[in-house]
Amino acid sequence: MKHLSEYRSGEIAAGLAERIAALVEPGSAYKLMEICGGHTHAIYRHGIEDLLPAEVQLVHGPGCPVCVIPMGRQDDAIAIAEQDGVIFTTFADMLRVPATNGSLLDAKARGADVRMVYSPLDALRLARENPDRQVVFFAIGFETTAPSTALTLLRAGAEGANNFSIFCNHVLVPPPLRAILDAPDLQLDGFIGPGHVSTVIGTQPYEFIASEYGKPVVVAGFEPLDVLQSIYMLLRQLTEGRCEVENQYVRVVRREGNERALAVIEETMEVRDTFEWRGLGFIERSALGVREQWGRFDAERRFELPGTRVADPPACQCGEVLRGALRPWECKVFGTACTPERPIGTCMVSSEGACAAYYNYGRLERRSERTPA
Amino acid sequence: MDACNCITCGDVAIVARVVELRGQSAVVECEGAREEVAVELVAPVELGEQLLCHAGVALERVGQ
Repeated sequence: MKHLSEYRSGEIAAGLAERIAALVEPGSAYKLMEICGGHTHAIYRHGIEDLLPAEVQLVHGPGCPVCVIPMGRQDDAIAIAEQDGVIFTTFADMLRVPATNGSLLDAKARGADVRMVYSPLDALRLARENPDRQVVFFAIGFETTAPSTALTLLRAGAEGANNFSIFCNHVLVPPPLRAILDAPDLQLDGFIGPGHVSTVIGTQPYEFIASEYGKPVVVAGFEPLDVLQSIYMLLRQLTEGRCEVENQYVRVVRREGNERALAVIEETMEVRDTFEWRGLGFIERSALGVREQWGRFDAERRFELPGTRVADPPACQCGEVLRGALRPWECKVFGTACTPERPIGTCMVSSEGACAAYYNYGRLERRSERTPA
Repeated sequence: MDACNCITCGDVAIVARVVELRGQSAVVECEGAREEVAVELVAPVELGEQLLCHAGVALERVGQ
């Protein structure tokens, strides 16, 4: 890739915005869902909505891995973290997610040994350095992150580690898309596909969206020009009556994905029969668990977990936001009782969460500017 | 993606240049910051190559 500025040129962006406006039929509505939280973040950060005609509405999808973890799993994580002798490692965003009795940070304040890591490989290194402790890694993320966890399991196996395990919460992108497409309360015209998930899984897994549901998909990169170009490509498909999976992010995504990454996932993990998603409920075959032969590295087998289902706080409307049925500012606690400093719901915690992105980039004025369709 | 994005989770990954080879790992550099990443999934890699990295692992080569 050349320098980032090439993907942030205001002049090219203005040109693309003009071409988008020229494609739009005045008075009609185009509802496009950006699946990935990374895109949500980019859209708000770069003010992309301001460049679009009012007919084009971007709907935020379920692609923030922090936001979709149900509170019961967060309770389970804290239960592991509070066991004697455990070093509990996690990506930073999960530290602040509220659970029944506070967050992982609160558990740390109560005395649990909770540490932030950038990679599961760092957690494995901690296990090596602390042979008398059990080190657990809170594995979350979509197909982008699963290869890193899988590679760590392979290395743990090769080293014969006996004090390392993962609490596996890896989720898959295509199954919730089918759930959203089947939901009666949301009509979408097209999808902006997740760029980095697709680096791993390729573009083929989205083909059912075009063939079975008749909706176009464009897999997109994360720079502002990437997002604008993908919106242009989607609108072109819609106006020309085409319905295909196109790849805007050709500089890293191939149709077949990264076969080696898929192979390490396949070797160490298997698809769960069902998994609960915040806001979407149980979705069949939508998450990964540790394979039985790697069970010694599975925290769910090693530790006793409460495993209870916990309802979200009544005021929290993350579920509707995650399904795209509600826009962030329409939630009754957005920006008042629920802020990034004191979040009630997960969407306000992660910077990829629609509410946090919306809040942080001062998009509040849209509340009065645009009435959602 | 740049520094203000969530680098710890999700669908975010960072493009970084290989500056040192260390067997199954490589040291990559992005905007002056260096980090060791596993390169098994994209090996063999060469010095100067641009890699898409996420959670300590290189996921893909980045084309021009």
